[in-house]
Amino acid sequence: MSTDGDGSIKVVPVRHVGRWIGVAAALVVVAMIVHTLLSRLPTGQKACRGTGTSRVCHAVTEWRFSWDVVFHYFTTSEILHGLLITLELTVIAMAVGIVLGMILAVMRLSPNRVLSGTAWTYTWFFRGTPVLVQLLVWYNIAILYPRISLGIPFLHVSFLVLHTSTTFTALEAACIALGLNEAAYMSEIARAGLLSVDEGQVEAATSIGMVRRQTLRYVVMPQAMRVIIPPTGNEVISMLKTSSLASVISVIELLGAATNIYSANYEIMPLLLTASLWYLVVTTVLSIGQFYLERYFARGALRTAPPTPLQRMRHDLAGVLAKFPNRRGVAGALER
Amino acid sequence: MTEIAPTMVEAIGVRKHFAGVEVLKGVDLTVGRGEVACLIGPSGSGKSTFLRCINHLEKHDAGELLVDGQLVGYELRNGKLYERNDKQICAERARIGMVFQRFNLFQHLTVLENITIGQVRVLRVREDAARARARELLERVGLAGRDGYYPAQLSGGQQQRVAIARALAMDPKLMLFDEPTSALDPELVGEVLDVMRDLARSGMTMIVVTHEMGFAREVASTVYFLDAGIIEESGDPREVLANPTSPRLQNFLSKVL
Repeated sequence: MSTDGDGSIKVVPVRHVGRWIGVAAALVVVAMIVHTLLSRLPTGQKACRGTGTSRVCHAVTEWRFSWDVVFHYFTTSEILHGLLITLELTVIAMAVGIVLGMILAVMRLSPNRVLSGTAWTYTWFFRGTPVLVQLLVWYNIAILYPRISLGIPFLHVSFLVLHTSTTFTALEAACIALGLNEAAYMSEIARAGLLSVDEGQVEAATSIGMVRRQTLRYVVMPQAMRVIIPPTGNEVISMLKTSSLASVISVIELLGAATNIYSANYEIMPLLLTASLWYLVVTTVLSIGQFYLERYFARGALRTAPPTPLQRMRHDLAGVLAKFPNRRGVAGALER
Repeated sequence: MTEIAPTMVEAIGVRKHFAGVEVLKGVDLTVGRGEVACLIGPSGSGKSTFLRCINHLEKHDAGELLVDGQLVGYELRNGKLYERNDKQICAERARIGMVFQRFNLFQHLTVLENITIGQVRVLRVREDAARARARELLERVGLAGRDGYYPAQLSGGQQQRVAIARALAMDPKLMLFDEPTSALDPELVGEVLDVMRDLARSGMTMIVVTHEMGFAREVASTVYFLDAGIIEESGDPREVLANPTSPRLQNFLSKVL
């Protein structure tokens, strides 16, 4: 057994050969992607400078991905307006979906067969038909129901009458269609969350005299949130993109605005990129929000809260710096 | 208005079955005010089920069960038994403290919030008054200064003591303990039993399902040996545990002692 001068045994870490091959392959792929994103193509024209013998010519090139066009349209009012409609659709549809989904989940878990059966049927129907079909149905609802009236069921008494063809806009139809569809998915997510809470928690709440509603609100729901939030964040991001389907029922949201512009000027790829970049920006913001929300609802479930990305970065940096002995002071300061 | 009942808990022929299996086959038991009853017996004998019938976490099928002179879960009017609604049952239950084998502290709330939530939401006590009472109780169970901890940050014994404080915060007239030390490491059992001993000394009426024979012998006013759904033997713990008459209790004690 070989030992160092001070008598301690030297530790040789395991070499991860396969991992290093993977790293190299990944780096090559990343380099290729960056290269193609930043590549330029010749336009076939030449640009010349000077006159006579000092005249110098070179081929004119342009971005393969037309970044100049992409960023030109990035902040135009049509695109920004479309973005606003996309956000509006996402927020309203998710709000409808979450509230209705929670109600459906509680109904589904009810001991009453009629309530649980109703919730099951709702999920079965709205999850079982394509969301695009649902959008088209709500958009054309006036064919089935030319007027909607608020009154007493089965009696010819009504307090309020709405003519669907005039009062129901495409945007409202999209909000309803996407919201009702989302509720089916959210109800399953909420149900999983409610079921994840230990039976003992309910018994403890019951034993101190809480009624079912209080138990649900103060004990079960807050703990279910830990399980409900990650997939719900997924749903929000998914909804952000699904809302682009509303363009088929003539809602001018982000993608609709982009297609409107490129159908006039044929800059198809740049405008699709503009829209995609906006979707990416919003998704990034949503992901950051989700992280902190998860961290908040994890309280009590873990002995220590998970570090924020900033804390983790600082920790990693300190780890790297610690490898250089003369920088120990800096590493120590960062770790703090 | 209501006369003070001489007994806190009275069970007459209480029966309960789950899916065709009769778990309680007619349990009779009387616990007076300030008394401590210990229920002992092999697992599956129905001890926990009987305890859970007392605060109506389980519905008994037959027999009479009275707490503080009132029928549990039902009301007798004009010769008919009316089932009480959820709200009435919960109001009754709020005055019966329960401590569980697995603590069941609310994981998402701090120690202090665990003790205040029932006071604030059920008893409608003001937040600051509830907090003051919670601190007082934490000191009583030897956990002063642990206000801001989450249950996951405490040892089993500490969690169980918080659970006792949570039950006491509801100002109960009766405390039920369902094997409160069975999930604890041996060295943590003592601290929980100490709190329960103090509680018994302060005059609290208690029904304790336990395997701690030493505790039963020392604290119990009466010990009940439950086996296969009936009370096989009962009486003064020093007498019953020292000179058991039924062969089943003799057999049981020879295994646990």
